[in-house]
Amino acid sequence: MPITILAPRPSRPINPPSDPRAAMPDSDSDSDSDSDSGGGGGGVGLDPTGDIPMFAAAARRSKHALLDTTTASHSDIVTPGEVITDDPQWMRGHGTFVSAATAAIVSSVAGTVARTNKLLSVRPLRARYTPEVGDLVVGRIVEVQAKRWRVDVGGTQLAALPLSAINLPGGILRKRTETDELQIRTFFAEGDLLIAEVQQLFGDGGAVLHTRSLKYGKLRNGVFVAVSGMGGGGGVVRSRRQVWTMDAANGAGQMDVVLGVNGYVWISKHVETPEGLVAENKGAGITNMEESVSTMMYSSQNDRIGVETMREIARLRGVVTALVENGLRVDEDMVVRGYHEAVEMAMMSAEGADDIYLGGERGRQLAAALTGV
Amino acid sequence: MPLDTSAYNLALLRVDGRRWNELRRVHAQIRTQAAADGSSYLEMGHTKVMCVVTGPSEPGPRRGGAGAGGGGGSGGKDAEVAVSIVIAGFSSVDRKRHGKGDKRTLELQSTVSNALSASLHTHLFPHSQINISLHVLSQDGSLLAALINAATLACVDAGIPMTDYVAACTAGSTSTYAANDEAADPLLDLNHQEEQELPGLTVATLGNSDRVAVLVCESRVQVGRLEGMLAVGVDGCKQMREILDRVVREKGQRMIQEGTVERGVGLNDMDVD
Amino acid sequence: MASTQHVLLSPAELAYLHASLSLTPPIRPDGRTRTQFRPLVAETGILPGANGSARICFADGTEAIVGVKAEVERTQSRHDDETVYVEGAANNGGDGDAETKEDSRTGDSSWAEMTVEIPGLRDDDSGTAFLAAMLSEALLADGEFARRLWINRRFHWKLYLDIILISPPLSYPLPLLSLTTHLALLSTRLPRLQSEGDEDPFFDDDWAAAPHLFPRPTTTTPTHRPPITLLVMAVGDSIIFDPSKEELAVADVALAVSVSGDRSEPGEGGAGRKLRLLSIRTIDPPSRLTPPGVANAANSAYGAGNGAPQKMAEARTAEAEAAAEEGVWRAPRGGAKRAVLGALVQKVLEAGGVVDEVLDALEGVDLG
Repeated sequence: MPITILAPRPSRPINPPSDPRAAMPDSDSDSDSDSDSGGGGGGVGLDPTGDIPMFAAAARRSKHALLDTTTASHSDIVTPGEVITDDPQWMRGHGTFVSAATAAIVSSVAGTVARTNKLLSVRPLRARYTPEVGDLVVGRIVEVQAKRWRVDVGGTQLAALPLSAINLPGGILRKRTETDELQIRTFFAEGDLLIAEVQQLFGDGGAVLHTRSLKYGKLRNGVFVAVSGMGGGGGVVRSRRQVWTMDAANGAGQMDVVLGVNGYVWISKHVETPEGLVAENKGAGITNMEESVSTMMYSSQNDRIGVETMREIARLRGVVTALVENGLRVDEDMVVRGYHEAVEMAMMSAEGADDIYLGGERGRQLAAALTGV
Repeated sequence: MPLDTSAYNLALLRVDGRRWNELRRVHAQIRTQAAADGSSYLEMGHTKVMCVVTGPSEPGPRRGGAGAGGGGGSGGKDAEVAVSIVIAGFSSVDRKRHGKGDKRTLELQSTVSNALSASLHTHLFPHSQINISLHVLSQDGSLLAALINAATLACVDAGIPMTDYVAACTAGSTSTYAANDEAADPLLDLNHQEEQELPGLTVATLGNSDRVAVLVCESRVQVGRLEGMLAVGVDGCKQMREILDRVVREKGQRMIQEGTVERGVGLNDMDVD
Repeated sequence: MASTQHVLLSPAELAYLHASLSLTPPIRPDGRTRTQFRPLVAETGILPGANGSARICFADGTEAIVGVKAEVERTQSRHDDETVYVEGAANNGGDGDAETKEDSRTGDSSWAEMTVEIPGLRDDDSGTAFLAAMLSEALLADGEFARRLWINRRFHWKLYLDIILISPPLSYPLPLLSLTTHLALLSTRLPRLQSEGDEDPFFDDDWAAAPHLFPRPTTTTPTHRPPITLLVMAVGDSIIFDPSKEELAVADVALAVSVSGDRSEPGEGGAGRKLRLLSIRTIDPPSRLTPPGVANAANSAYGAGNGAPQKMAEARTAEAEAAAEEGVWRAPRGGAKRAVLGALVQKVLEAGGVVDEVLDALEGVDLG
């Protein structure tokens, strides 16, 4: 069926059709218990890691019994303006502010509370990417300025990539000349994709990137996917390995996957990196690396890619999109498992390996298979 | 006369069956659009508003003159809150085309922008812009209040830090200016008919406090009645805040249940070991 | 010629996409088949205050809402019409007169007014005006539609279609707006006429008795449907429907085709539906605005430029004249071949093909 039209999912009205004032005493008692538990730390002793049924709707209706459940459900989510604690021993982190009037720590976003030692912060349910030093990101050049590029990393501001922060052909230690500035577009032009690392942050939160490693640089031979939202809300999570190579099925060779922490993902055919080549050659030294830099780094030309590889890359892209659409985390483990699951699903379908579509219903099947495992 | 004064005094019921202090049916949803940073849909009675928030992000090319108020040459120290309102032609009973440069629309945009700027922590995002795009699908009174509430919800959904919800509501008086009725009662949440015939105001507060962020009164009303209307309006805002908060919490709970968001530290577990 | 928004992709990505779509069968970035549409959510009747309404959202978040409102308007009398109207005159005579009355109805294209609102663009922006013109042109092309708005010789319905795009346009919004308009029109109801002849019209207050503007198919009457406009593109030999913005960026040819599907014989499914081509408009694909990739040999980043810039420039132009090097992106130049255009239109009008499936699916949407 070439076109699928779905009915919208019904939403629950939040105001019960009865007198809205009847619901008022409910929320009064909730907010009272919140400030109590926030302040005193006593009250209800609950195990926050245990399984507490979160049926907030049921809790609201029977507000006398199950008061414990109501408190527990509220203790997980904080909303803007909600007091977290007024105990002075805590320090405030991201997502909170100190109320001028009462010197209590108040949440400024809707999210979950995170605690590291004495630092309290709130992880928002959904937020734009905020760069941290050391993050591996995939970015797209949007502006070329005199001695630097401005890169879109999906954050609140464009990141900066100075000319001095990239590898230039001819050696890592080559001095930047005026010729380099004039030919700046031969390195990166508008629209190019690259992998880079956040080197430092400006005072206002803007990032400065660098590509001073052979594993960073311009991207080619593949496809780009943007996963919206970072962290919470089904996005790319910071994990140990953001870049890896995996074997593709159906005789397609190997694929490189880059999960940028900023939610930008790159999937491509695996090409031997200079490091790989260097490792193979015995007695490799600095001179070899310089030559490797010259030939690979700033090419916009794709290598020949076979049909099978293109198909598997498209399949993997579908897996990433399906994970996002169904609210699952995107990290190495989920992507690899999702891919194998997708290959199996394709085997069982009518078209066999040719069937790579993973949107809509198929994506939901895939997600269900992954969460069920 | 929408209130048919004699009938009102008998049963104290308004045309739609509400009492003087009852809000209309409110229906709200957040995350209605997956691709946007933040989105919301809000109904107050028959007034239906959709909101989409993008940002904070790079400011677009600066339009000459329009951005002058934003401060500074290169964006200034705070994020700029840019609001655009589209009132659909089919939103009122008579189909009426509203252009983008309409005076009323511009004023609504500016009011919503000021209201949100009062609460959003714009100092955290210098050199950036928050774009709030509002669409009015149906109008039945309390338009400004619905716009502010929808914008607040969408900003919460987008994860933009703020001091508290900006919740808005309308309030009116049962007596027109001319009637000078001493026994006039204040009314909460006016619909279109009431807004046309009776004096009313829109008020928005910052959260549960009594701090007023927005107060707009475009009708003539005797100053003695103003305080009563304001008090009723502020109380209505507190009710709206609870409703908005409930929507956000429910969505958050559902996300935790579905595993898209990790469970956080319980507030009770605050004791340092 | 309509231009689409410039989408930012690197030359390497463009070359990859083009190669991927040029295969047989083409491998689309999201894995869809050539004729597969993206799944969408559709609902109608969302605005109880409007005569008809519909909302469609795609999975990628683009969303559009269309509301239809109708007003009774006095018909401008034309010079050659008789200016004296006798009430009840049309009632004299039998069925024969009724037949001629039916045929003498004429509609005017000014009776339907369409406005398109796209966030971020001005009202008089050329892109918006073009979209509105394309959609209303398709609707009024065969003259049938305006005839439905006829009440009597002195009055007619004036229909206002307000199309609102909720999200900023991520991909060319034409098919989305067209499908939403189609659904909104299907769900439009006009109050039932109770007056007779040429007297001042009055209507039945009972909304439940209001008939649909496009009546549901019955066993006896042929059905007429509003048109739909689809975006079709070609890359090499592959013809692709419902392209996403990345696919459009590498298109050789892109067309907006308006088709109407009336049933000459009532029946289920595609059988009996007569597809008529209403209009074709070419779309300037954004591929023409993309910067070309640079082949490795010519890339001065590799020091190829050192020493002989003049020779380099010659070499580059010589290479540009030659066939595109594999893996290097070059923006398409020149127009579309007539054979390609013919093949595109052929594919759209195929009986039992894509258009039939789309129209069937739209008919299946529950009208609230």
